Amino acid sequence: MASVTGLGPDLDTTWRRLLAGETAVRPIRRFDASRYPARNASWVEGLESRGNRSLLFPILERLLDGFDPLPQGCRLVTATTKGCIDTFERVRKGLPGDVADIPVSGPLTWLAAKLGLNVPPVNINSACASSTMAVARAAAMIGSGRADAVLVVCMDLVSEFVFSGFSSLQALDPAGCRPFDRDRNGLSLGEGGAALLMMSAETARRKGIPGIGSVVGWGAANDATHATAPARDGCGLIQAVRQAMAKASIGPDDIAAVNAHGTGTVYNDMMEVTAFEAVFGSRSIPLNSIKGAIGHTLGAAGGIEVAVGLRSLADRTLPPTVGFREPMEKCVLSVSPYPQRIGGIHLLSTNSGFGGINAALILKGNPG
Amino acid sequence: MTSGPIPPVTREDVFPEPNLRFGRLPQYSRVGLAAVAFALRDAGMEHWETKRSAGIVASTRTGCLATDIEYYNTVLPEGGGLPSPNLFSCTLPTCFLGEAAIQFGLTGPTLVVNDPAEDALCGVRMALESLSWGECDTMLAGHIDLPAGPAIPGIRPPHAGGLFMVLENALYSAASGYGTLDLSEGGAVRHDGIEITGLNELVRACIANLSVNGTRSASPLPLPRPS
Repeated sequence: MASVTGLGPDLDTTWRRLLAGETAVRPIRRFDASRYPARNASWVEGLESRGNRSLLFPILERLLDGFDPLPQGCRLVTATTKGCIDTFERVRKGLPGDVADIPVSGPLTWLAAKLGLNVPPVNINSACASSTMAVARAAAMIGSGRADAVLVVCMDLVSEFVFSGFSSLQALDPAGCRPFDRDRNGLSLGEGGAALLMMSAETARRKGIPGIGSVVGWGAANDATHATAPARDGCGLIQAVRQAMAKASIGPDDIAAVNAHGTGTVYNDMMEVTAFEAVFGSRSIPLNSIKGAIGHTLGAAGGIEVAVGLRSLADRTLPPTVGFREPMEKCVLSVSPYPQRIGGIHLLSTNSGFGGINAALILKGNPG
Repeated sequence: MTSGPIPPVTREDVFPEPNLRFGRLPQYSRVGLAAVAFALRDAGMEHWETKRSAGIVASTRTGCLATDIEYYNTVLPEGGGLPSPNLFSCTLPTCFLGEAAIQFGLTGPTLVVNDPAEDALCGVRMALESLSWGECDTMLAGHIDLPAGPAIPGIRPPHAGGLFMVLENALYSAASGYGTLDLSEGGAVRHDGIEITGLNELVRACIANLSVNGTRSASPLPLPRPS
């Protein structure tokens, strides 16, 4: 697996800086943000457009750099909400840009060709739960025998298009997001990607590939309540988490820690606390959000969080929640600005998005 | 199916009562929401009292590009000063699925798939997989695309419009007037055992099946599961 985030060009760097409690949320240089109340985001250093093409391509190149050849018949599932949105912006401003990159089929076709895959790829868009849904889909494809191996690639960019929209919704915190903090005031946007090669245990054994962990449960549900706001009772997230636990044949007590969506908006974090308290009762389960460190990477969020979550299980350490200072009133969940120990092998990772979608994954680390 | 310009979709076509949301939706979301509503109406599932565990998978080539253009036009003139929050909330191709979930109480997974293939069957294929994996007993599956228009020349999807169908797990469903769908070993969509190569062909096969078998016997959600 691989990741590119505002904290670093690879997973090791991102992991090290996450544990150190650093943040990549800083003043935007990609476009003039001076007209907006919030002017920060987490962006990837050193991206350069080649031939007026999207900055998504250098992110993808970094992700695939050093990736071993894919197994024969490997399928490709991607996740992005806005794809080459910077190319769209260029074209609409009358600047040169390759129009063929604008539909998601542009980067999808580029990736398939780059990887030499001859099976048709597909992109999943489920708002901010896109890559969570893509990982769930890949796990289901493998579990059902429809595929031996699936490469999940997730990606999204910081753009003025998206930034202006969240700004118009008054959803951005000018000071940087503070997930699960009593004084949280909005999210911070981010960009990046992750590449996760998933395969059946049998295929991995046959090829001698040591896996870092497994996806053992998944669930998805719509709360059918509001177009952009979550259901306050957390009904969709509760349903998704319970589906995931049932799929994994485990109960709440088997889950050692939670990587939450934790955007830092008032309603999202409240909804999540409500849902997790419904699932875990009065248990003070370790819980974190990495969005204070790398921003909300939209369609890439769930995939990056799977990569970090598996690393968390391998190192038995949950990274700090950057920006968190004071707990929300009556919140029994254990959120901390410092790393927390994980005392088990199952981690719950969740994401929620516009349109009421909620998705949950249960990751299992290797014992020992 | 006939071809030609997509007729305007009005609130009265979709909802008999005034609907606060519908009038504010851009064309892409209106067409998608209308197609989902018509599919549910055809299946006798339009009316509901309690939320239902049904999911939606929509395939698309260009997604809500037309809405993206409309929204970005509100960003450009004022240098980002007056972007429309209402339009922005519709700049994900999934947004109409959220609207459909709210309007019709659907609590299953909702996703849009971008598929470069021209057969427009990816949504149907993935919905059939979800049904076979037991993720849901009911899935709405279909395709939606709108031309981007002259603002971005050169992007023209092969299929324009919205089309959805209600799929139920045959084990639990009494509705079979349109025929039975399944997937071949290689993942091809089959209608009554015959491989289908495109969405139009699938619709023709379903309608032909209905004309042979007479009226269909739709049953409302939730369907009773055998004990």
